Amino acid sequence: MHGIERRAFMQGAGALAFMVGGAEVLLTPGEARAQGVPLRSLKPDEAETIEALGETLVPDARKAGIANFIDHQVSIPAEEALLEARILNVRPPYANFYRAALGAVDRASQALNNGRGFAQLNEAEQRSFVDAMRQNKVEGWQGPAGGFVYLLLRSDAVDVVYGTMEGYAALGIPYMPHIAPTQRW
Amino acid sequence: MANEKVDVVIVGAGASGSTYAAVLAKAGKKVVILEQGPDWQLSDLISSDIWGRRIKPAGPPFLLEGKNPVSYGYQGGWGVGGAALHYFANFPRLLPNDFRIKSEHNRAHDWPIAYADVAPFYDKVATDVGVSGDARSEEIWRPKGDPYPMPPMKTFRNGDIWLKGFEAVGIRMVPAAVGMNSTDYKGRPACIYDGWCHIGCPIGALANPLVTYLADAKKAGAQVRPWSNVTRVLTNAEGTKVTGVEYYDRKKERQVQEASVVVLAAWAAQNPRLLLNSTTDKHAKGLANRNGLVGKFMMTHFSSGTLAIFDEDVQNYMGTTGAQFMSYDRYGKTAHKGAFGSSFIVAGTAIKTSDLGGMANARLDLFGPELAQFMKRGARGFTRIGAFGEEMPNIENRIEVASEKDEFGMPLGRIIHSYDDDVPKLWEANFAEGLAIAKAAGAKEMWSGRGNIPTIHLMGGTIMGTGAENSVVNSYGQTHEIPNLYMAGPGIFSTSGASNPTYTIFALSLRGAEQLATKWSTVAG
Repeated sequence: MHGIERRAFMQGAGALAFMVGGAEVLLTPGEARAQGVPLRSLKPDEAETIEALGETLVPDARKAGIANFIDHQVSIPAEEALLEARILNVRPPYANFYRAALGAVDRASQALNNGRGFAQLNEAEQRSFVDAMRQNKVEGWQGPAGGFVYLLLRSDAVDVVYGTMEGYAALGIPYMPHIAPTQRW
Repeated sequence: MANEKVDVVIVGAGASGSTYAAVLAKAGKKVVILEQGPDWQLSDLISSDIWGRRIKPAGPPFLLEGKNPVSYGYQGGWGVGGAALHYFANFPRLLPNDFRIKSEHNRAHDWPIAYADVAPFYDKVATDVGVSGDARSEEIWRPKGDPYPMPPMKTFRNGDIWLKGFEAVGIRMVPAAVGMNSTDYKGRPACIYDGWCHIGCPIGALANPLVTYLADAKKAGAQVRPWSNVTRVLTNAEGTKVTGVEYYDRKKERQVQEASVVVLAAWAAQNPRLLLNSTTDKHAKGLANRNGLVGKFMMTHFSSGTLAIFDEDVQNYMGTTGAQFMSYDRYGKTAHKGAFGSSFIVAGTAIKTSDLGGMANARLDLFGPELAQFMKRGARGFTRIGAFGEEMPNIENRIEVASEKDEFGMPLGRIIHSYDDDVPKLWEANFAEGLAIAKAAGAKEMWSGRGNIPTIHLMGGTIMGTGAENSVVNSYGQTHEIPNLYMAGPGIFSTSGASNPTYTIFALSLRGAEQLATKWSTVAG
């Protein structure tokens, strides 16, 4: 079976295929994080920055597995990717964009905060940094436009927190699927 | 590898390609459709904004430049069904004034045809694919036509709540015409109003190509070849006729499909890219491009969204992604003082939580706990209305080929697009009116959906006109330069109007395909 057809089949199960112990296992990103599924493309410090950014942007994004979600999606062919980057005209491979964005965030954070990367900032500092990034006002920023990085990572965080069946349930919104995922995402 | 010659090869299995395929296959022609992406089935259309991105554009990217770069990722398509696999199925028509802007305002250019030439095809398409609405109520703005085959769709509080506001500012709202089933129609079920239209309707209640023209085409013998990446249109040695296309199959092997007629229905940006890449010694600037107009006059729509939270449960998850109500009351080209161009107004749409048009993006300035609080408030009372605006054609808005090439050696396309001074004026006028409507409707919170001026619905690039001095194709989509080469889709629009384009795409494709079938021996001989 061709790869995309296989995934077209697998999407009916509603989860992503993560490698666990050499075997493919269907998990939600949150489950993948909870089980400590190894990252395929992101480095540990990149995942740490994504989680810190995600949590600042949308509460609960860390637990919902934003880093595992992005790691999975940048590790598969772009034509199969489910990232909002795809509809925001980001040019594949998507890993390039995330690397550039995360690098810009941490470089700017370190320059402005005595060598501390974004994940090492306290909550108030993280909020202040993100608010400046949103408005393209981070001093010394070098990388993709801060406002666009904000938009894209915020979208990823929204996806894992509010775009799932659990997210709808938490808001009290009926999900009403025509074709329901058999798992909760 | 060469394949058996066919009568027609169609590039693209979206709205326009499917329509051509159905007409020509039913006329007894041997038809092959080459589609760049996967062969989607209704069962692939899982109800999720996240999974729905699989049917959005992939493949070689377009380079996006200009002051207002075109955004195609959300609206474009990829795979069988094209963008019409996930469109909102709003079916407004162009109006008579769209066809005569030059004559009536000395702006832009006239179409080579009038509304009356297209109107019979709007009516035919309505019957073919199924349209719900109230044609009589629309006839306060347009000439009479046939009634729609189905009554209007149901409305919900997220649409009804706005009506008082529209009435207060003097805008008449009527049931929206949509390509959806309000009742069972032609063996397809009625809509169940779950609001997942925008990622593809798997029950067939929405008129996507898989359940309409493409199904008809396949039944009549048309063959669809997914994963077929067309790179060139081929010609005879004299350069007087096209002879087929070159493409790369799923194994990335070069193939040639010979045909008596070639129809490019690959999208407004991809069609010019193909023509510009099909240079020969007889066509040094690309096919159908001796006048240098291929790729020129790219146009988009823009929208002014007014967003609001009401102090009641508006059930914003109910309905369809298309509109419940619509109005042409601001469709006159000078309807807004100090601005130029038509506006088309819609109200009442189902809203999901995530994705580009989701509730979370209604307040892009919010993040953290403030976003979480907004989502809780919005879950109960958030709803919105919108006004699409018209961009005038500008020859500087164009498609070019870049020096960078894709994996098949084909130059990437570059889309250069900037709005002129009319656009922000019309955008602002619609924002101002939207807030007045929200206030009169009793909204507790209201705001304009600002940011960069959006670019929606790419059109132009191979526009129609009266001759080679002003256009690429005639009113049927037949190129002036090569009679057996046709263009289909929004690329042939002379001007954009402000109406969602797909109904007009279907109508013009039906008109072009029927003409081709009728004149077959002249064109293909």
